[in-house]
Formats: sequence, C-alpha cells, structure tokens
Amino acid sequence: MDNQNTTQDPELVSENIKKEKNSFFKNFNYNKNYKILLVIPLFLLILSLVYLGIFYFKTGDFIIRDVSLSGGTTLTLNGNIDSTQLESQLKSKLDDVSFRKLSDISSGKNIAFIIESSVPPEELEKIVEDILGFQLKQEDYSVEFSGPSLSDNFYHQLIIALLISFCLMSVVIFFLFRTFVPSIAVIFAAFADLVMTLCLVNLLGIKLSTAGIAAFLMLIGYSVDTDILLTTRALKKSEGTLNQRIFGAFKTGSFMTITALVAVLPAFFIVTGLPDSFRQIFFILSLGLFADLVNTWLTNAGIIKWYCDKKGIK
Amino acid sequence: MKLTWRVWVLVFVLSFALMSVLNLPRSYIALVGLLVIAIPVSLTFIKSKNLLILSLILIAVLIILIPLFTFSKGVIVTSVSPSSVAFSEGLRKGMVISEINGMKIKSPADFFNVINSTVEFEGSKKFDIQTTTERVIFLTNTSLDISVANIPKTNLKTGLDLSGGARAMIRPANVSLNSNELSDLVAVTSNRLNVFGISDVNVRPVSDLVGNSFLLIEVAGITPDDLRELVGQQGKFEAKVSNETVFIGGERDITSVCRNDATCAGVENCQKDSSGGYFCNFRFSVYLSESAAKRHAQITQNISLDSSNPKYLSEKLNLILDDKEVDSLFIGAELKGRVTTQIQISGSGKGQTQEDAYNDAKNSMNKLQTILITGSLPYKLEIVKLDSASPSLGKEFTKNLIYLGLIVFVIICSVLFAKYRRIKITLAVILTVLSEALITLGIASLIKWNLDAPSIAGIIAGMGTGVNDQIVIIDESISEEQTSLKGKIKRALFIIVGAFFTIFAAMLPLFWAGAGLLRGFALTTLIGVSVGILVTRPAFADILKKIEE
Repeated sequence: MDNQNTTQDPELVSENIKKEKNSFFKNFNYNKNYKILLVIPLFLLILSLVYLGIFYFKTGDFIIRDVSLSGGTTLTLNGNIDSTQLESQLKSKLDDVSFRKLSDISSGKNIAFIIESSVPPEELEKIVEDILGFQLKQEDYSVEFSGPSLSDNFYHQLIIALLISFCLMSVVIFFLFRTFVPSIAVIFAAFADLVMTLCLVNLLGIKLSTAGIAAFLMLIGYSVDTDILLTTRALKKSEGTLNQRIFGAFKTGSFMTITALVAVLPAFFIVTGLPDSFRQIFFILSLGLFADLVNTWLTNAGIIKWYCDKKGIK
Repeated sequence: MKLTWRVWVLVFVLSFALMSVLNLPRSYIALVGLLVIAIPVSLTFIKSKNLLILSLILIAVLIILIPLFTFSKGVIVTSVSPSSVAFSEGLRKGMVISEINGMKIKSPADFFNVINSTVEFEGSKKFDIQTTTERVIFLTNTSLDISVANIPKTNLKTGLDLSGGARAMIRPANVSLNSNELSDLVAVTSNRLNVFGISDVNVRPVSDLVGNSFLLIEVAGITPDDLRELVGQQGKFEAKVSNETVFIGGERDITSVCRNDATCAGVENCQKDSSGGYFCNFRFSVYLSESAAKRHAQITQNISLDSSNPKYLSEKLNLILDDKEVDSLFIGAELKGRVTTQIQISGSGKGQTQEDAYNDAKNSMNKLQTILITGSLPYKLEIVKLDSASPSLGKEFTKNLIYLGLIVFVIICSVLFAKYRRIKITLAVILTVLSEALITLGIASLIKWNLDAPSIAGIIAGMGTGVNDQIVIIDESISEEQTSLKGKIKRALFIIVGAFFTIFAAMLPLFWAGAGLLRGFALTTLIGVSVGILVTRPAFADILKKIEE
C-alpha cells in the first residue's frame, strides 16, 4: 500500500496488529508495480496456451480422455487383491490396459484394484476370470462401459455445454456491472482460470471423465465469485483509497479461496477410497482455485486498477 | 428475544427438511413439527431466562427421543417376484412385515429364520404374514421369492454407484424410434425385468443436447451380465423343425409358461462333466395357442421316424434365440402330426461347483422363460453404456464420504474460528451452512432424487459457496467503514446474488448435456445455492446484525 494510508485512515493507526500485517504491503508500491504484476499471469497464460497448442498438435485433442469419454471398459475388483500376477498377465494379453489401486482410510489396506481397457466388458471380464481362475460375482466387482460412438457424442456435448456455460456466465457478468472493461476483466480472468487449470490437468497426466468436464463447468461459476467481490469493492464502495479497497477485497477473497482449498485437501491426503467421479470433481476444483488466486489478484486486480487510474476513480 | 421473519422462514424450512429426510410415520412428523415450531415460540414469548432454558431443553429432548421410539419395527419388502404366490395374494414392494406365523420380525435375519424353520406339510409351507396394513395367508410349494431389508431410518436414496446395482443405456441399432415406439420399448423392457423377478427398476427414455434418444435402465441388485442379456437382447425366440417355424416367443403363440411350480418346471440332473466341472439340466413346460399347436401338427406330419431310433422323429425341434441355437430337442414319435398344446423346453447350465451349475441353470431357465413370455422386439438393440457397482464397494465409498464430510467440517470450523476468534460468529456460519446442507437433502428426498457421488460433490460444493458468502457478509459488516450496517449488508448481498447467478448460469447446461447423467451434480449444487440465497443467507444477515448489536 502507498504511504498515504496512515493519514487517511486513522483507525488503521490505532490497530497495531493490522499495522504489522500491512507492513509488507507498505514497502511494496502497488501503484508503481501493478503493471509488472500483470505481466506474470499474462506470461503464465501464454505459456499455458502454447503448451495446450503443442499438446493438441501432438495428441489431436486438448485433454486426455478416460474411458467414459473415449469408449472402453473400467473394471473394479473389490478387496485386497495380489495384483502383480494379474498385471503382468493382462499386459501380455491386451495392448491398451492400465491399472490403479484404491485404499482404505483407517487401515491403509487396498480395497479395490482398477483395470481400464478399450475392449468390451464381456471380453475383459472373461480375460480377468481366466487369469484369476474363478467366476466373478456381483459382490466382487464393478464395471463401467461406454460405447465408442456414445462417448464421442458425450464428449462433444459436454464441450458444447462448457461453451454455453461460459457464454451464460459472461452475460450475467455484463448484466451485473454494465461497464465494458471491468466485465471483460472478470471474463478474461475466468478464461485464464480454465486454460491454466486444463494445462495443470494435462501436465499431471490426469485422464478426464465426464464428471471432470462437469467440474470445469462448475469452475466457471466458482472462480468468478472472488472477481465479483473485487470488482464490486473497487467500483461500488466510496470510502478508503482504491488500493485499500483492493487490498480489503484481497483479504476477504483470498481467505475464501484458502478456506475452500483446505476443505478440499482431505479428499486427497486423508480419505482416499472415494468414487472416481467425486475425486475428479474435487481435484479439478482445487487446481482451479489455485489458478483463481493468481488470476483474480494479479490479472483482474491489475486490470481494475489500471481502469480506475484511467477513469480517475480514487 | 425477538426473531425476524427471515429467521422464522429458516426455522420453518429447516424443520420441513428434517421431516422429509427422516422416515417417520405421518402422525409423528406432525408432532415433531409442532415441537420444532415451539422453539421460536418459546424464544419469543417466554421472558424468564431459566424458564426459557428449561423449555428449550425439554423440546430438544422430545425431538431427539420421539424418532428413536417411533421408527416402525419390522422389515420392508424390497421386491416380490410377480409370478410368486405372495404377489398374487397381495404382497407388494414397500410393505412392512411385522409378523410371520405369529412370530415378531425385527430384522432380515428374523425373517429368514422364520421362513427356513417353517415346517413343510404335504409338500407345501403355510405362511401367515402380517404387514402394517393387511394380513396375507397362503400355501406355497416353492420358495417365497421375496427379498426384505431393514426399514431405512431416512428417506434418502443413494445412487447406484453408492448402493450397488447396474445401469444401462440402450438404443435400437440402425433405426430411430418415435415417441410411441420408445414407450413400447420402455414397456417391454420393464416387463422383461419384472417377469425376470426384479421389481426395483427404473426405466425411462432420456435424450441429450443434440436430440438422440436412449433408454436408461437402472436396476438395484443385478449383475451386468443379467442386465445385458435381459435388456440388450432383441429376444427373438423361434422354435423350428426342419427350418419351418413352429412357434415364436410372445403371447400370440404361447398362452402360458410354467414357472414356480415344481411339477412342470425346475432344475434337475446335476452331474460332473468330463472337464471336472458340473452341469445341470433344466426343463419347463410351455402351453401353445390353438394355432401354434395346429402348425406343430402340420409340420411334424411329414417327418419320418428316425430309422436308428424309432422312438423319435428324424428331425429335432431347434430352439433359437436371437439367431443362436439354444438347444435342440428330440420329438417323441407319438407327437407326430398331433395337435399338442403342451411342449417341454429344456436346456442346461454349468459351473465349477455343483451349486454354481445349479444357479447357472436356474438363471438361464429364468431368462428363457422371461423371453418366451415377453416376446420379441421388432429391432435389434445396442447397449451403448453399461455401468455396474458392487454393493460392498458402494458401502465403502459411502463410509468414506461420511468420514470426509466430518473432517472437512472440522477443518472449516477451525479455519473460521482461527480467523475471526469469535465463537458466536463461527457458530452462526456453521449452523447456517449445516442447515443449507440439510435443506438440500430434504428437497432431494422430497423429489426422490437418488444421490450419487457427483450429487454429493454438488452438495459439498454448495456448502463451500455458502461458507464463502458468509465470509463476504461478515467482512463487509465488520469493516470499519462509516456506512450503516444496512448499507454494508446490502452491498454484500449484491456480491452474493451476483455469484449466485453466475454459478446458476454456469451449471445450467449440465441438465441436458450427456443425456443428463450428470444432472445430479448440477441439481444439488443449484438447490444448495438457491436455498442459500433465498433462505439461509438473509437469515444469517439478520443473525449477524443481532450479534453485532
């Protein structure tokens, strides 16, 4: 914050704790440096876009699809199965097959073994039964199968849904603020969120399912609430300096995002035996929240500051 | 202490939600409702502090105790095979059995004990079943074909991924159906599953964003194999002699099929086969219509006797299901040219153990009977999606989701308290967010929504939005600004309403995309945020005003 603070806001002086907290921001001149700060997310965004471009060029798609979007079968065997033999034998019999394990929270024991392949479920079940040497009963396993044409169809529909969702969100934002630059700033931040999250998802090699794409839709809605907070505080509040208002919004908004982040963390570190769809939704939301911290408080805040400086809003 | 109308609304909605979640008899729901309403009434009118505390404790104790004593005792019928005697005597899914043959039934274990210990008399067992509404008495010589479960404590229903079961999406291969044909397909499919002995089914047509229509079938307690064979098949059954069709499946040619009667249907002759496994034979009678019987006479008229085995005709009766031969049967010489209405169908099942082989044979028999009764569809079907979840893994998931919920709850409480250091504010946030979740669950059970994993993710995400919004309200209202509290809260509400509309708009397309399979996720999120904006947030703002004063 700039050094006008102390003279303009007497209540700040009286509260020593706040003063200490703000000391870092006092030494940092936001007025001079916000444009430099704006370069960081822009650079990250361009990097992400380039990465996604290369990714698309290499794989022909923007994401890695799991069997629910590309067609194929997921077979989940319950119980603590010794999987080493199963894995090696399956690899020798099938070209495209991958494995995962699920474990229990309290005991750490494996509760399930997951096999993914593009062959139809009857075939996969039979191969697994042959290797295991017994017939699978309903209690023993779960299966998920999607036909290739349907999965393709679903994929395209969900992408269309994602676009519609983005457009609807943009309409709502324009309706809320009714001014061009602040609205575009929010929409741009949401776009950057999506791109960076997608980039992170691909970097981590996560295969997206239908639920994963649904999580991206939610991210569109979820990520803009801090942007709305920032824009409202910056434009609609009259008291305090602009920097104080932005900083106040930052305190509230970052606390919101951090609360949400610590709330989703147990889903990855403590409780592991969760349905795949559930984990994927949570995982994408948490990546998105990270991206949101950057995009709201560097990108959007920078643009708003710039806009207010131009318009003479103090 | 006076409550504002917004807080009243919250209390009312909350108590309605609680009642719709808990599975209680109606009269008690009314009683509990009155008690819940008594809370704000006593808060408003009782002035003395000690008296107030006393009455609140009394109400709380009553509310907690009443459900404990009034959950009805007995077991609930989860399915009755439509071909069973119990069904024809009026026993239906959803009834609550309290007594059998004079003995109290408190759990499924009691139920099986009584059923198994009932003594047979002249080949059949007598059952006197008392349900909460009626009494059913009958004799039967086969198994009861009823499945039961403990009466659920809540009205909440979990999706197949958490409760176990299978879901299939099918569509006709190469043809597109109009709405009439689609409802025919729904009827045939439901009928097949019912005849097969599964009544807990949900069959409905669904369509997606681009207008493709499918049939969505959700069944609890079925293996994917069974589902595949029952609903994925065209079910074209033909019985042929020397390439001429004698009769086909369906009511035109078949008047009835013997099923739960040991004298004309059953599995027998279990034997070891050459490879070390077992095989069992099954047989059952079918009764042909007049015209089919005459056709049989005409066709067999011209067939000569088998020269090497003159007890039989030289041609066999070939049973063909969906262009694949199921079995071929010898035709007795005495049937040549005769108009016979009763034909015996047979087949076999195999397995590693005798029990497996028996079950396989029984299952195959049941499927064949089902196809014969329900007849064929005029087109081939294609299964485009098939999911199944095992009940045991589902239980594990449910348990873990509850653990996760508790952990997240504790974390959010501690983070909020660490930030604001005020018990009252933290409690107010937690109570409103919890009531939001409860109201969402209440609405879900009211509309009988099956909560699958994405739906639960939606509820949690809705709670997250709730916490976020409360933070906005608190930070606005405790800011050191000169504006009145009312003005501050008004601005906070602008932010919250803005955030509400964006998440609403963003989730809306999920209702249609991908045949609506992710509708649960969107639905619970939207219910959660809507309840937040309409009920809990305004109430919270009022509570906060009170605390700030």
